[in-house]
Order: sequence, then C-alpha cells, then structure tokens
Amino acid sequence: MSLANPDSSPAGPNPARVNLTRFNPMGAPLWLALFAVTWVFSSYGREFSRAIDARWLMKYPAGWRLPFKRDISDAMKWLVEDATFGLFTFKEFTRGIAWLIELPYDFVRAAVIDGFTIGVGSEASQIAPSLSWIAIIAVVVAIGRVAKDWRLAALVGGCFLYLAVFGQWDSAMVTLASVLISVPIGVAGGLLLGIGAYRWPTFDRVLRPILDLMQTVPVFAYLVPILFLFGFGPVSALVATIIYAMPPMVRVTTLALRGVPTEIREFGSMVGCTRRQMMWKILVPSAAPSLMVGVNQVIMLSLNMVIIASMIGAGGLGFEVLSSLRRLDIGAGLEAGIAIVVMAIALDRLSQAFAVRPTPTHDEIESLQQAGLIKRHPWGTTVLAVALVTGLVGLMLPAVQSYPASLTLTTGPFWADLVAFINVNFFDQFEAAKTFMLTWLLLPVKRFLLGIPWPWGIAIVALAGWKFGGWRLGLLAGGLALFIAANGLWDKAMVTLYLCGVSVLIASLIGIPLGVLSAENERANRIVSAVIDTLQTLPSFVYLIPVVMLFRVGDFSAMIAVVLYALAPAVRYAAHGIRGIEPQLIEAGIVSGCTRWQLLRKIKLPLALPEILLGLNQTIMLALSMLVITALVGTRDLGQEVYIALTKADSGRGIIAGLSVAAIAIILDRILAASARNARARLGLAE
Amino acid sequence: MDKPVKLACRSVWKLYGPNAEDFLGVKNVMTQKSHSERHLELTGEQIRAAGLIGAVRAANVEIREGEIFVIMGLSGSGKSTLVRCLSRLIEPTAGEVLFEGRDLLSMPERELIEVRRRKMGMVFQQFALLPHLTVLQNVAFPLEVQGAGRAEREARAREVIELVGLKGRESYFPRELSGGQQQRVGIARSLAVEPDLWFLDEPFSALDPLIRREMQDEFLRLQSMLHKTIVFITHDFDEAIRLADRIAIMQDGEIIQTATPEELVLHPATDYVAEFTRHIPRAKILTARSVMAPSVMTATKDRGGPAPGTYAGDVQASDRIEAIAERIEAADAPFRVLEEGEVVGSIDRQAVIDVLVGRGLVGRDPVRRDPVERDPVEPDPLGREGAG
Amino acid sequence: MKKSLSLIAALSAAVYFGPLAPAAYSAENQDPIKLTLHDWTGQLLTTKIMGEVLKEAGYNVEYVQADYIAQFAGLKTGDLHVAMEIWETTGREAMDEAVATGSVENLGETGMLAVEEWWYPAYMKEVCPGLPDWKALNDCAEEFATPETAPKGRYLGAPVTWGGFDDERVEALEMDFEVIHAGTDAALFAELQSAYQRKAPIVLWVYAPHWAPFKFDGEWVEFPEYSKECYQDPSAGINPDMAYDCGKPRGPIWKVSWSGVKDKWPGAHKAIKAFNVENDEMGAMVTKVDLDGKDLDGVVKEWMDANKDRWNGWISK
Repeated sequence: MSLANPDSSPAGPNPARVNLTRFNPMGAPLWLALFAVTWVFSSYGREFSRAIDARWLMKYPAGWRLPFKRDISDAMKWLVEDATFGLFTFKEFTRGIAWLIELPYDFVRAAVIDGFTIGVGSEASQIAPSLSWIAIIAVVVAIGRVAKDWRLAALVGGCFLYLAVFGQWDSAMVTLASVLISVPIGVAGGLLLGIGAYRWPTFDRVLRPILDLMQTVPVFAYLVPILFLFGFGPVSALVATIIYAMPPMVRVTTLALRGVPTEIREFGSMVGCTRRQMMWKILVPSAAPSLMVGVNQVIMLSLNMVIIASMIGAGGLGFEVLSSLRRLDIGAGLEAGIAIVVMAIALDRLSQAFAVRPTPTHDEIESLQQAGLIKRHPWGTTVLAVALVTGLVGLMLPAVQSYPASLTLTTGPFWADLVAFINVNFFDQFEAAKTFMLTWLLLPVKRFLLGIPWPWGIAIVALAGWKFGGWRLGLLAGGLALFIAANGLWDKAMVTLYLCGVSVLIASLIGIPLGVLSAENERANRIVSAVIDTLQTLPSFVYLIPVVMLFRVGDFSAMIAVVLYALAPAVRYAAHGIRGIEPQLIEAGIVSGCTRWQLLRKIKLPLALPEILLGLNQTIMLALSMLVITALVGTRDLGQEVYIALTKADSGRGIIAGLSVAAIAIILDRILAASARNARARLGLAE
Repeated sequence: MDKPVKLACRSVWKLYGPNAEDFLGVKNVMTQKSHSERHLELTGEQIRAAGLIGAVRAANVEIREGEIFVIMGLSGSGKSTLVRCLSRLIEPTAGEVLFEGRDLLSMPERELIEVRRRKMGMVFQQFALLPHLTVLQNVAFPLEVQGAGRAEREARAREVIELVGLKGRESYFPRELSGGQQQRVGIARSLAVEPDLWFLDEPFSALDPLIRREMQDEFLRLQSMLHKTIVFITHDFDEAIRLADRIAIMQDGEIIQTATPEELVLHPATDYVAEFTRHIPRAKILTARSVMAPSVMTATKDRGGPAPGTYAGDVQASDRIEAIAERIEAADAPFRVLEEGEVVGSIDRQAVIDVLVGRGLVGRDPVRRDPVERDPVEPDPLGREGAG
Repeated sequence: MKKSLSLIAALSAAVYFGPLAPAAYSAENQDPIKLTLHDWTGQLLTTKIMGEVLKEAGYNVEYVQADYIAQFAGLKTGDLHVAMEIWETTGREAMDEAVATGSVENLGETGMLAVEEWWYPAYMKEVCPGLPDWKALNDCAEEFATPETAPKGRYLGAPVTWGGFDDERVEALEMDFEVIHAGTDAALFAELQSAYQRKAPIVLWVYAPHWAPFKFDGEWVEFPEYSKECYQDPSAGINPDMAYDCGKPRGPIWKVSWSGVKDKWPGAHKAIKAFNVENDEMGAMVTKVDLDGKDLDGVVKEWMDANKDRWNGWISK
C-alpha cells in the first residue's frame, strides 16, 4: 500500500523525532533542583510568609475568591425554576425525559420482579405475575448457550442461582431492571454521540472535554442538580448512571468507526452509498465487534454505580449493601456486594461472548431455514415454555414463583466472627504497621504538600505541563491549578493529591510486580486477574467498613481502600505491556545470554514502560474517583467537600469541588499521557 | 485503434501536508489548469522542503474504452493514490479528472453517487468484503444500495456469482472462504452493477503466487467476455505485462512512462523502467512486427508476393513471438508477416532464436543500450552479449 | 356515542373501585402518597408504620428512597410528600429553611427524643473511675490516646455534615482531646464495634434511638447542661470567653410534609400529625431488626397487630 491512508502518512517518523528533541523529559538536574527549591519553600514557607507579613502566600485570600459557587447555585436555581423554551419550561422538559425513561423502566421492573398491575396502591390488581425466578434463570442460561456454549450457560446460571440462594433475588432484580434500562440508553446515546464525533471534527473537539469531565467529575457532584431536574426516585439514579457510564461508549464508537479498514469505506463510496447508507450499512456493521467492547464497558460502569445510585433512590443491591453496613452486618453487606460482583461477571461474560460470537456458518443457517418455527428458535421456545409453566404453577406453588425464603443461606455470622477474630488477635500488629506507614510515609508527604505556597505550586504545575507537552499543556495545567486556588480549595486539593499520590505509589509498588508476574506465569495470571476483577466490581463500601474496624477512621483506612480499588490498572497495563513485546526482541536477549533478571530489567521493563505509564495514568484516575467514596470514612479532601455539598443539597459547592477533582485528574492525565508519548517516541514505537 | 477516451486526468496533483493547496497556488482547481501545469518543474526536493509529501505529481493519463490500463509502481510510488484520485475517493490537490468527458471533481455529490452506482466498479486488495453478509448479500450489496428489489438483486447476484465460478457458495460467509474465493466474491460484487469502468486495486497481491496466476487467467477470461474499460493497479511487473494493453509506470508520485508492454521493453524511458524490463522474457512481449525484417518486402508490392517456395507460411504482425516461435523454428524458410492482409515484412528462424536467447535486440534499441552499460553490478546477458 | 362512553366509564369505575375500596374508611384522593425512606432502620420502621396505617385508611402509599437532606428539594416541589424523621439535632436547619418557603409544613413531633452525646463503653469506667463526669474524662484523656493523637485523647466525632460543634466544645472546655470525624455513621459504629470486641479505649459520638446503646453496654458523658445561652453567648457557662462550653441539646424528632398534603389528603394529614411513638418502643424494634436479624416488615406487622387501638385513633374521623 502506498499512501492510501492520508492520516498516517504525515505522522510518519518525522514528528516523532521532533518530539524527542523538543521535549526531553530527562532533564534530571532541573527536576532535582526544582524539588529542592520546593522542599525549602514547603519547610520554611510558613515562617517566611509570616516574617514578611505576606500570609496570602500560604493561604489564598478569601477576598480574591471567584464567585463561581454562588453563580452556579443561582444558575441551577434559574434552570429549575425559571428557564423556559417558551412552550414549556426546562424543568418540564427534563421531567418529560424522566417520564420517557420511567415507562420502559416500570415495564422491565414489572417483568422481572413486581408483576403487572392495573390501578394504583390499594386499588391495584395484578393482571400478570412477574417472571418466576426459574424462568429468569432459564432466560439467562439460554442466552449463555446462544452466545457461546454450555459452559457459559452454566456459569451465568450459577451466578443467578447464587442470587436466589443467598436471598438477594429481589434486590438483584431491581438492580437488573435498572441495568437493563440504563445500558441500552447509554449504548444508544454513546453510539449516536460517537457517530457525531466521527462525522464532524468540530463536534468531536467540543465533545472531548465534556467526556473528560463526565468521567472525572465525581458523580456526587451532580447528583443534586439531577435530583432537582429529574425528580426523586429511580429515574434520577438512572440518569446519573447513564451520564457516568456513557463516555466510554462514545470513545469506543469513534475509535471503532475510525478503525474500519479504509478499503471497506472506499468500497462503500465506490458503490455509491449515501452518507446514511455508508454509516448504517457499512461502517456500523463492520465495526460491530469493536462496538461490543463499548457495550461491555457500559454494563460494567453501570454496575459500578449501583451503590451511589441507591443513595438517591435506585434501591436494589446497592441499598442492601448500604443498609447492611449501616447496621454493621458485614456478612450481609459482603453477600450483597458479591451479588453485585456475580451479576457483573454474568453480564460481562455474556456481553463478551456476544462480542466475539462468530456468525453462524452457512450450513447452520440453511438447516435452520428448513426447520420449523420451534426448531428455528429452540431456546426462545424453551424459555417461553418455562416462563408460562412456572408462571401458572407459581399461582398455586409460591416456591416456583419466588425462591422460598426458608431455603436461603447466609454466611453473615462467619464473616462477623472472622473480622472479630482478626480484630481481637491481630489488632496490635496492624496498629504497628499502620503507625510505621503514617510516620514515615503519609505524614511527611502530607506536610510537604500542604507546605507548598500556592503560587509556587501553580508555577510548578505549569512548568511540568510545558516541559512534557509544550506551552499549550503548560497553560492548561497552570490555568486549572489556578482555578482550584481561586475557588479557595487549594488546601483540600493538596490533601487530595497527597492521598491519591501515596495510594498510587503503593498501588504501583504492588501492582506492577504483580503485573509482571502474571505476564510471565499463566497460573499466577489467572489468580491475579480473578482477584483484581473482583476488587474492581465489589463495591468498595463492602471492604471499607472492615478496614475501618481494623485500622480506625483516618487517612490510612482511606488509603487502603483506594489502593485496593486502584490496583487493577497497574497490574493489567504492566502485564499487557510485557506481553506485547515483540518475541524477537526477547529472543535476541536470550541469544545474547541474558539471565532472566537481565532480560526483565534490560529488555522487558524498558520496552513496557509506555504501557506502564498508561497504567499509572489509569491508576491515578481510579484513585481520584475513589476518593469521593473514602470521604465516607472521613478524609478531609475534595471528596469530602463534594460529599458535604451533596448532603447540604448545595449544587454550586458540589459542582465546583467536583470540577476541582476533574481539574487535578486532567492535569495529571495530560502530563502523563504526554510523557508516555515521549517514551513511545524514544523507543520508536508507533502510536 | 484509437477508441474514445473513457477516463482522463490532466495534471493531477496530490500533496499531503499543511496548506498543500496554498503551496501549489491553486484555489480553484477548475480554472487553474495551465497554472498547475507550471508546477511540473517542481522537484521532489522543493516539495519536501515545504514539509509536504508529493503522493501524486502532475499525472496525465488517458484510458480508452475497452482497454486494460495498468498502473504499475512499487509501494510508495503513488499508484494507489492516483487510482483514488481517478475515482475521487481522494480529492486531488489540483488537476482535472474527466470521466466520459465530464469533470468528476466538480460533480456535485448526488451526481457522483449516481455515476459510481451505475458506471463504476472497484475491486480491492484486501477484498473489502462485509464480514456480516453472506456471499450472496455481499454481491447483491451494490444493488441494494441503489434500491433494487430483493428478488431482482439476488437474481443478478446469482448470475455474477456463477460467472466467477462460485455457484453453490451463495450462503457462505466471507470468513468461510479462501483468499482466492474471497477475491472472486469481490470481483463478482464489482461486476454486479455492470460497470463501464472497472478499477482493480492490486486485486491479486494478497494471494499466493499459484492462486494469483489462476486469478489472472480468470480475469482475462472475464475480460474477453465483458470488454470493460479497466484500470488495474499492481506492483508486479510480470502481472502488468501479462494483462496490460498499456502500462503507466510510476515512481515517486510521477508517471515516468506510459506505453504498451512492447514499447516499454524496446524503449524504456529511464533507467528505472529498464530495470523492470530487464528480466522479462522477450518472447512474451515482442510481436512479429518488431522482430521482422521489413526491408525484405519493400520491393515486392504485388499481391501474390514472392514465390510460395520462398516462405514457409504467414504470421500476423501482432502475434507474440512466443506464440509463433515453434512454427518458425521448425521451418527452413522464413515466414511472411501480414498486417491487415498486407505483407509488411518477413521473419526467419534466426530472428526468432535471437529473441529467445536474447541476442541482437540491443542493436535495434539505442535507448536501451545506455542504462545497461552503465550498470556494472549485474550484467545483463540479454543486452551485453547482443551488443558485443 | 357520548352516552356509551360514559357508560363504559361508569362500568370500569365500578369494576375498579367498587369491590376494592375498604368500607370503613375512604380516601380523598387515590394518588399515592409518597413517603421517603432513608438508610437507617429506625427511620424505615417509623415510615413503614405510618405507611401501613395510611394504607389501612384507604390511601395509596408509595415509598421513595431519598437522601436525608436532599429530600427537602423534593418536598418543596411536591415530588415527595412526607418525611417521617427530621432530627432536631441534625435536620433543624434544613427543615426551618424549607418551612420558611411555605412549601413544606412541620407536622409536629414524632414523640421520639433525639439524644446525641459523647459516649463510652462501660468497661472504660475501670480505667477512668470518675466517669461519666466530663472532668474525669478529661483527666484520663491519655487513656484514650492513639499514636496519631498522643498525648491527647482521641474522640471520634460524627461526620462533619452532622454539625455538633465538637471542635468548639473541646476548645471551650479546654479538653485534651483531638476530634477525628468519621465520614459516615457506618464508619462510626464500625470503630465502636472493633474497640468493643477488644475492650479497647474509645469515646465517640453516639445517638439514640439507635441499636448501638442497646447492643453495647455504655453511658453518655455528662457535660454541663445545655442551654440556648451557652451556645449563643460566650459569657454564659464555665468559660467566660467562649460559647459551646456545655453538652449537646436534646430535641424532638419531627415529621414534615409537603404543604399540599393538607388539601389533597386531609385525612392523611391528620393521621400523620397524630402519629406518636416513644424512644424505648422504637429502640426495641430497631434492636429486633438490626441485632436479632428479624425481617423489618414482620416487625412492622407485629407492631400494627399489637397497637390496633392506637393507630385506629389516628385515622378515625
């Protein structure tokens, strides 16, 4: 192929070389000097500012603060109370949307748990029961079989059986109903936005920062406005879930469409497709397997939102977790938490199976076409039959309709005893370890960061941005840092940075070696993946409370929770980076007589560096998103600020604090991405 | 000989890089024809210095109805870009593309879509089959896009599928087929709308050598039935020679020579072209016309010609030496060479053997001599020995 | 045509409402009354009891999950209708603000009294014999120290959002304690449970009605008694220069509703106003659910059966 792809040709080797010379991040002496200066500032800044009577150096003066908080609150008030499109108000508009979402939601809920009724309240009479638990399990088993094979069918069937046996059925079905609504909406919305971004570059440029914000502003920050606009109840929770879960779908869509081979696109042009035909007959079907990756992401993120959604009225498993922990029933909380994991596993595996599912071969299709209706849809008819039979039998035998409570299991006492045992017998050891970490790592870092005068802090951030990514990034980073200071959140931001930084450090120290290990050893890989998958889908609240019991309220507990949650990308990216190394390079190392250790240190790690940096980036993003949750154990950072704003229903305060978290995330993300790019360029790897 | 021109391009440029159009000074492609021709003198260095990449430079091509026009070049030579400019898959930076006399580049989108739907077909290097459709659906796809009814388009699709020899595989999916079969689907699909102009972009490059040969034969068979106007892209000179009526050779975005295979062999325009032609067996290229001794016959204008005993038989001037060699070698006397019934020369055993062993050609080909002699690395037995 | 339509309407009305409407009571409006649920058991019990009573009176009831403070936004607009537990100690500010808008109505006390104060497990009396007096607590502050706070004692306060003025109190009473805020009450009681299992020193914020004072043996610290002046006037109380030099106020738990409830469902409005339970009663029910693991709806039903006369009084005309 010559220059058929115009996008790739100008970005050939030349720009990479330019990058390399222009931004050499290895100016080690410079950074050391800067660090030393910062250290001095941090240690003596307070005294200094007092000596020259310039306290504003340490504390951003209240008089200089920007009135954003109030403005946003006012704007929100206006939006809710006065904004109008003429014929109807903005609020009526959002309530209309809420109504549109509620209709299918109510229907799905009726189908899986509530049953269909006519009339309201005490006048309600049931016209049809919901699907029985047996029927629902039959449905998922059949889907598993159709998507892949009996093994998958058994897995998802087992997952749903867990929900029944451990008494989580009703809550799980409520959660399932909201997932069944939020996922299609998130997918469809993401697909359309992604298509828009693919088609119109301007739209893409506008959309990108918005997506960044959607992913980095903590959900708590916009819950209050959503409640105002969409009303109380499950719909607001669904809307919040969709906002949170949609961005990856948008990005995946744009990427997948761009990834359709040029020739396929050209073929479309050559047969004279109109734009619409091109999109829906050529691009979208060809990109379908990649698009399924996005669907999978939406499902997983929707399940991540279960806890937070339950705080504003989604009910379901999230509520079960929260109320169990509220009464310190750790076992019940864990069971409900695992129910979320189990559901995530089932939906994840199903969607992945659909993503890679081969279309049937010609003879399968031919034989189906000759068969009758029942044979053509063996699973559909079986499931229908099961649903009907259990529905009818269920009218007489309640156990068929809903899983009998007497047969449920619980492991609650076991967990309570286990935690108590550890608590009584090992508390001192834990305490010693914790004190050590606090004294030698956490507190010094905290003091260092909090001591930095804010003008110097902004300067450093801007400088780092400029060094790694040019003057644009420098301006962006400096501007965002100034935004934080100007809203009077500098100290809280520093606490955020400290908690996040320490957690990321520890997560990397644990995660990268684990990643290397699982890249080298298949068995280790299987165990490690299972553990980190669970940690990522298990609501952090479930382990946050036992952690508090063992380590008390405070930064250390928060840090542990963050580390557990943010471990996954450090592991995954390191493993992926090492697996992705050209086998020839490793063979070259082996034939030149490298020991295993040399192989790792001199070949694998340096080559995996760009991936590891990306993993670090993701680790930071997850750590930041987790800080909002750790506010629940009493940190004093931006997360806490967001949380306070939520409980005080203060839109402005919440959004500003949320934007500040996003600002930190964006600064770190851009700088790290730039340095990963530099590393790639240095290694001569393609983007 | 000179059939109407189906597709032509004049001074077509494609530059990649920032402000490529400003560089050429071309705002309005239509009115600036002469202007862009001025840029013929632009050298590669000048373009590179401006930070641009010249994918196609001042390309002029005329493709006549019913001919197989091959654009040949190595990777990076700009051939794929050129064919995409010809079909307006890529907007050229400057220049003019005329299809049946109408300017393709200024055509509004609706019209362009109509032209592509009814008059053009294209076959792609990586087949570009839609993975989610069966063979039948893939082949029927162009008709579906036009809005043809299901029965109609499937009937037509079955016809072309049979034509390319895939009958019985209609319900297969692309991934169930071998590479060669997949490309047959690609060919069938591009023929489904009965295009006047048929683009083939390295259609056989992704195939194994044996399959490639088979597909070339298949292609020639189809063309003998269909008589399409064909633009065929390849990086394989053998393939070009085998299929082409005329060949355009590209290097660094420029067309450096456009000629029949025979002319290329006999009169390569540059060293670069000569490099390609060097290893090509002459017998496959040369016709009786270029080997015959024309002088012999000039005296004998009368219809009967020389006494029958003098000549062993007749050959046509357009016959390839390869095809007639055996007959001529077997005979003791020379053969008459006829063109449109007229005797234009004679050809004898010695001439044929010279061609077969590669002797004596260079004497008739002054252009060709220089490059060969300037190339000390790999002495060419054909050229050298003949010259000596 | 018109006639037949109204005939159908009449028929369907007969089908729907005729046989089902309870004979004894009738509701003014069939729209569901929306009661808010929060995430602590006591509130769930209070709300479910109220809901069941309203159902008995023929009303349609819908429970809506909502945040404790954020719910006021919904109460103001009429998205939500009734909130059964607004604590004097934590919700007063938001409630007053909402009532001031005129869209929210205070329906009076529930009968339960909210207690919030410093609390310690009984075994701490052995280490610190002078308890429950606050001065004694202060004298053995070091017993409550942890590595992070030493030599000061560690007091585990409630989430910052709950207010409570503990930082001010420590300063005003010159106590050798450092206030550490838990982020949620789950975290608060997690620490209590952990310490209790180890018989480790702890003093923390506990509130009632709650299961914790039932489950764990312990006592409230006795501070100088609360008075309005103590909170507002620095010169009042022990410390002449600072306010908050006394214990926390104890106050009622309020019921509030959207102000439209009164006109839309007058009977329900009356019933909610009449609702009344006591601390011990509620504490016992909370214990049944949280500690004995009984089903919440079962406990509600038990109460309904045992107190027929009481709730009948609330809904009778």
